Amino acid sequence: MDTFLNIVSGLRWQDYLDIVFNSYVLFRLYVLFRGTNVIRVLLVICLLWVIQKISLGMGLIITSWAMQGIITVAGLVIIIVFRNEISGVLQTKNLKSFLWGIPRYQLQTPVSIIVESAYDLTRKKLGALIVLPMKQNLRSSVQGGVAWQGKLSREMLVSIFWHDNPVHDGAAIIQGNRITKVSAILPLSKRQDLPSYFGTRHRAAMGLVEQTDALVLVVSEETGRISLFMENRVYDINDSHVLTKLLDDHLSEEATRTGLRHETVELAAAAMISLFSVTGLWLSFSSGVETLATREVPIEFMNLKQKMEIIGSSSNSVKLVISGAKPLIQAIGQDQVKVKLDISKAVTGANAMGIQRENILLPPGIQLKQIEPSEVEVTVDETVQKQLMVQPTWTGRLKQGLIIVSAKAIPETVVVRGGSMGLKDRTTLFTEPIRLDKITQSGRISTGFALGKSNLQLQDHNKNNVTIYYEIKQRSTPEKTSEG
Amino acid sequence: MTYMKPHRIKHFFLLALGMAVMLTAHADAQAPPPTLVYGTMCESIDNFHPVDPAVVFSISKGEIICFTTFDPVLEKTNVFHKWYKREQLISRARLTLQPPKWSSFSSMQLRKADKGPWRVEITDTNDNLLQTLRFSISD
Repeated sequence: MDTFLNIVSGLRWQDYLDIVFNSYVLFRLYVLFRGTNVIRVLLVICLLWVIQKISLGMGLIITSWAMQGIITVAGLVIIIVFRNEISGVLQTKNLKSFLWGIPRYQLQTPVSIIVESAYDLTRKKLGALIVLPMKQNLRSSVQGGVAWQGKLSREMLVSIFWHDNPVHDGAAIIQGNRITKVSAILPLSKRQDLPSYFGTRHRAAMGLVEQTDALVLVVSEETGRISLFMENRVYDINDSHVLTKLLDDHLSEEATRTGLRHETVELAAAAMISLFSVTGLWLSFSSGVETLATREVPIEFMNLKQKMEIIGSSSNSVKLVISGAKPLIQAIGQDQVKVKLDISKAVTGANAMGIQRENILLPPGIQLKQIEPSEVEVTVDETVQKQLMVQPTWTGRLKQGLIIVSAKAIPETVVVRGGSMGLKDRTTLFTEPIRLDKITQSGRISTGFALGKSNLQLQDHNKNNVTIYYEIKQRSTPEKTSEG
Repeated sequence: MTYMKPHRIKHFFLLALGMAVMLTAHADAQAPPPTLVYGTMCESIDNFHPVDPAVVFSISKGEIICFTTFDPVLEKTNVFHKWYKREQLISRARLTLQPPKWSSFSSMQLRKADKGPWRVEITDTNDNLLQTLRFSISD
């Protein structure tokens, strides 16, 4: 209990937000997909995941491996098999119903109109297939159809199933007091034991009640017989009172109220389960075994003044000792831990900068224990321009008996840009080494500047070229060397 | 016996100090720096003349010389030969010049690590740069 209280008292507002937000997302997923097979398959996947974890814990290698494979494939299968349900949810035009609306499947349906319409259709020898959805979503079972959204009336129903009406084939779906869809295609039953007089409408009605909890009313075009399909059973209706009673039992106000009560309880339970699940997940992340870890993180120097540059730092990275739950520590990515040092107040020369907690960015749930080093010395320099003399750098060995008596660089000077400290005592920019071995007579040679690893840059980047004019003469005295 | 009052002594010393400073400045202004008429790098000197002046020297020579001639030299003074390897001051030779004209030189013993670009800056006592001689030490 104390541990629980400790955890709760240590929660930040971000943690509460994290839990509540994800609980709501989970709850919304349930609301949007309830009644479809997606939820059932997801539950199976959760079960497989639990089995995989248990088998892993018990050391059952093949079982664990197989479960993992099935779960991976199942994710793909869900998207392919249930694409209609998923697209149906995602394509909803009503943002409110997508984000926070709760569809009520059991609205009060005017039973008397349906009964009167059924008998009217019988009298006129018109075939009809009327679907009254209950709690379960029909998205996965009903295909096609034309959106109707018309208010339910006897005339409307009769006209829908009139022979010449283009939408008279297929089923009309009634939700509450509205006809929401017409010409819908229902799945056909594959049962072999159905009566011989059952036509396609009857098979379709049976097919739907086999898969869902909907009520389906069929008016036979040939016989004028009315049949009510529900809970995998067929009721032949000979009396309007019987039909009224059967429909009332399922669709009446009281039944609707009971259904609504049940639905409210179900949604509340789903909300609580979502909250507990996410809280449990959060706790498993945050209150697992406390682990210490060390991370070497590069320092990001920020807000350097214009015309300034960093020419050195006592350390380019810091070692952070962090703690947190093992899963959280293991899940830390490269970009999630950052050390940002504001050097906007740095001046030319060496600057001692302390690294504080506020300089360090850590993912939620991770605590900082130690920073090493806690201070870095950053050497900053101002960028200036300076004119330097150009001097050739000769290398190799000149042919015996020859000397270079003069050498002139064109251009004689160049303007370079670099740190003021680096340029302070600098007077000369040297060329790349020029080989002497092949030089036998006066002439000229082109080469570049030896900028090397220095921070110097030529003012004109495109002119990294210098020509050396040199004069060669014969020695006046025989060549002597210190070795000889 | 009469004595000067302390504040008058102070004024006297200040006046004397001022005159001394002015005279010194005047004397300095009147002494022009020696005029460098010739400066070169060479391998050796023969009969007060540089032998084979050049801008590239082999390390195998073992020694190089910076030879300078000043004319006129109005009074005894000093000049400096500052030897730099790349941008690093390696040696600073102080040479005394005598009127009316004077040639003087400094030298540098070469080691294997001395290969690369060098320069010698010739300056007067006031650190005015008279000439820069640039050269390389090669294989």
